[in-house]
Amino acid sequence: MAKEIKMPQISEDAESGTIVEVMVSEGDTIEEEQSIIAVESDKASVEVPAEAGGKVKEIKVSEGDEINVGDVILILEAGENGEDDQAEDEEQEEKEDEQPEGKKKEKAEEEEEDDGDTEAKEKDPKEEVDKDEVEDEENEDADRKEKDKEAEGKNKKEANKKGEVPAAPSVRRMAREMNVDIYAVKGTGPGERITADDVKAAADGKSGDQKKSASEQSQESSLPDFSQWGEIERKKMSGIRKATAKSMGNAWRTVPHVTQFDKANISTLQDFMEQYEAKAAKAGAKLTVTAVLVKLSASALRAFPKFNASVDIENQEIIYKKYINIGVAVDTENGLLVPVIRDADRKSVTSIALELGEIAEKAREGKLSMDEMKGGNFTVSNLGGIGGTNFTPIVYHPQVAILGVSRNQIEPVYEDGEFKPKTMLPLSLSYDHRAIDGAEAARFLRWMCQVMEDPFVMLMEGGI
Amino acid sequence: MAEQKYDVIVIGGGPGGYAAAFMAADLGMQAALVDPEENPGGVCLYRGCIPSKALLHVVKLKQEALEASEFGLSFDEPDINVKKVREWKNSVVQKLVGGLGQLSKKRKVEHIRGVAKFTDANTLEVEHDGKSQEVSFEHAIIATGSEPASIPGLEFSKNIMSSASALDLPDVPDSLLVVGAGYIGLEIGSVYAGMGSKVSVVEMTDMLMPGADRDLVDVFAKRNKELFEEIMLETKVAEISGKRKLKVKLEGKHEGEYKFDKVLIAIGRKPRTKNLGLENTQVETDDKGFIKVNEQRQTAESNIYAIGDVSGEPMLAHKASHEGKIAAEAIAGGKVAYEPKAIPAVVYTDPEIAWCGITENEAKAQDIPIKVVKFPWAASGRAATLGRSDGLTKLIFDPDTERILGVGIAGKNAGDLIPEAVLAVEMAAVAKDFSLSIHPHPTLSETIMEAADVLYGQATHIYRPKRKKK
Ligand SMILES: Cc1cc2nc3c(=O)[nH]c(=O)nc-3n(C[C@H](O)[C@H](O)[C@H](O)COP(=O)(O)OP(=O)(O)OC[C@H]3O[C@@H](n4cnc5c(N)ncnc54)[C@H](O)[C@@H]3O)c2cc1C
Repeated sequence: MAKEIKMPQISEDAESGTIVEVMVSEGDTIEEEQSIIAVESDKASVEVPAEAGGKVKEIKVSEGDEINVGDVILILEAGENGEDDQAEDEEQEEKEDEQPEGKKKEKAEEEEEDDGDTEAKEKDPKEEVDKDEVEDEENEDADRKEKDKEAEGKNKKEANKKGEVPAAPSVRRMAREMNVDIYAVKGTGPGERITADDVKAAADGKSGDQKKSASEQSQESSLPDFSQWGEIERKKMSGIRKATAKSMGNAWRTVPHVTQFDKANISTLQDFMEQYEAKAAKAGAKLTVTAVLVKLSASALRAFPKFNASVDIENQEIIYKKYINIGVAVDTENGLLVPVIRDADRKSVTSIALELGEIAEKAREGKLSMDEMKGGNFTVSNLGGIGGTNFTPIVYHPQVAILGVSRNQIEPVYEDGEFKPKTMLPLSLSYDHRAIDGAEAARFLRWMCQVMEDPFVMLMEGGI
Repeated sequence: MAEQKYDVIVIGGGPGGYAAAFMAADLGMQAALVDPEENPGGVCLYRGCIPSKALLHVVKLKQEALEASEFGLSFDEPDINVKKVREWKNSVVQKLVGGLGQLSKKRKVEHIRGVAKFTDANTLEVEHDGKSQEVSFEHAIIATGSEPASIPGLEFSKNIMSSASALDLPDVPDSLLVVGAGYIGLEIGSVYAGMGSKVSVVEMTDMLMPGADRDLVDVFAKRNKELFEEIMLETKVAEISGKRKLKVKLEGKHEGEYKFDKVLIAIGRKPRTKNLGLENTQVETDDKGFIKVNEQRQTAESNIYAIGDVSGEPMLAHKASHEGKIAAEAIAGGKVAYEPKAIPAVVYTDPEIAWCGITENEAKAQDIPIKVVKFPWAASGRAATLGRSDGLTKLIFDPDTERILGVGIAGKNAGDLIPEAVLAVEMAAVAKDFSLSIHPHPTLSETIMEAADVLYGQATHIYRPKRKKK
């Protein structure tokens, strides 16, 4: 029995990605949970595990392909690897040599049938594959003739793209231009014909992010020809770049941003950190301001639940979260990644520091899993290591606030009748004004500053 | 010679090649076209579609003149002046290729005369009249077309003709054997028969026009029973010998030795990639010699594309031009793909046979469920006014959605009727769309509308008891 391995949902909002590596070959025997392909998508490169083991009969994808959730990655002969399988395998290989075109055609027809009857498609993929095999044998002659008839592209990687699709040529081209996979669009016209409106709806129906891509494109096409002023070079965006462009554009359009600035006097905190550094190091952690701020943000979210929420405009509701996960922006060679520290409120600064070290390392090596980047409620973005006096971060939608941190500086602070040198840390808090008002944000940030200046006061007065 | 680097260079000036070069120029790229002839045109214009259709027109007129006596219109026995026919045919070709030459100039497409060969993936060596020059390019489109296949061990000669030499129309032999009953064999066979040759046809498979649906071919066979001396199916040429009179030994159902003045070999065509220097590039070919390409018609060498007969079946001019435009647009950065649902095929015999989309044969071979409805032209008013009720229009649908998957028509002017069907298949029209679109009366196009009506049991000019729903 053959089995199709399909692309699983790799993250809640990622429906597609680009295959950066195919990790198995036809003929390999793989185990359940073994990684079969690496997909770059929404902010990370993820390895996709096989949902079942067996012998790889056919790989349906290749590097560089766009893949959507539900697409077939490969087909397994999930037998016992016995002699039968072996024999079948050889036969299969022979046949494939002989008639790639025929096979392709069949695949195409299969899709055609699917168009007419999606139900049947979902019924039993196994059965379909089996049927294919039988047909292969029966129609060998016919297939050969078909081969002559075929006028289609002969690259194997396109094999699964072909097929009957009930849409006018202009509509098919429009879909291509709008980055809509027409094979995934359901037609509402007579005979399930796909209309221009269906394609537009499909483009809109994608997450807000993807909608953007269409509008981005139209903007793109109205760009002037820069080469008239000098040499230029065009480069494809990486998967991470694309994801960042999409999600930031989306956040910018959705979220009415306000940014609140403040400064925290961290002289005392610094002294304490210096003293504690060695102890943390013993535990294997590097004590950083970021680690402290993650912990502090977690406490702040506790104290100000409005910041630990999401806006559900459609239902006119605010979703309050009872758990506290904090995302930390990490600058990597490939771009910005935001791994999440889970339950930060229940972890010590030292263990957060330890986790941060590990996770940042993973991010830089491109080894973060999708899971490790999901489910953040609030984000800390520390650019202080590079410099800067302040910046206005963009809220990582659907979160409602983000904390930006810049380079600390020794500044004269007027205290007890004189100027004293103090280490001041510039903070900026961008927030979603749909959920949070200015006074609340000012209080939130002031609270953070005060805790850093004098945690004991806060302990005494409550709040921590 | 000063070296120039073209954005796009197209190799081969056929309908694929010149369409590609013109499109490239229209999109603002600097384009050049390499071809041995003085003007673009390729096989199609010089020795394919155009000369064959010109000659077919002549014999059709003759046949109609003869048949007109039935309507009370009599002419003298038509007299064919072969020399004049040849000249007229050549003038048609010259007019068209000359026009293409002008269009090239207007578009500033550089016409480089000669035979090209790749020396690497960015350079061509073009040879003409013993002189050679180097041309470099960013992108190349291979459109070198195809050439007639020959029977192994049988050289083409004065008497053993290819389609190209047959269309030169050197003379009208007393007897001609056409080897291969595909569209080229039948078309050129019809020409020679119409001009007075005794034409026999030999075909390896068990039908004329192998691949086409039998009911359509039957319409042709019925009318042309007399046209050909003999039609020998399931038979193969084993040997041809002799100089003046050719002795032809046949094997199979009609085994034996026959004598003919000339033989036309029309057993198919093969892609032309010989001496093209493909070995100096990454371009790959398949086991039939076609260049392998992807949806954008791009070869394994990413800046080289291939279109037309050289890139795969069906080897038809309109498929070549469409591909040519796609390739040029893809090079210009367009998001385009070659993804036709229906490539029309037309055989310009009398009657014509035309079809598009899926055929009944294909559906059967691939086990695709279909529903077929037919409208015989005996019920067409227009066909009656033309004295040509020998025709058939059939529609092939998806039984669930009633979407039109293919259409086949045999009859007078079938080729001119098929584009409506192509549009319907491409647009994913359903039977109701045909049925609800008002067709002009009286025309042959009504047969398409009424065929769709047949599906609903309501064709005005056919009475069928109502079918029960499933
Ligand atoms: C008798 C006959 C009748 C036909 N009738 C029809 C018809 O009615 N309808 C239809 O659609 N199709 C018809 N065809 C098929 C049609 O002619 C081809 O499909 C079409 O010409 C293919 O176009 P193309 O651009 O691929 O190449 P071609 O038209 O084959 O042109 C290729 C050109 O490339 C040139 N060339 C080759 N090698 C080189 C090189 N190395 N350097 C430079 N130039 C080179 C050749 O000299 C030629 O000019 C017919 C063919 C024949 C033989």
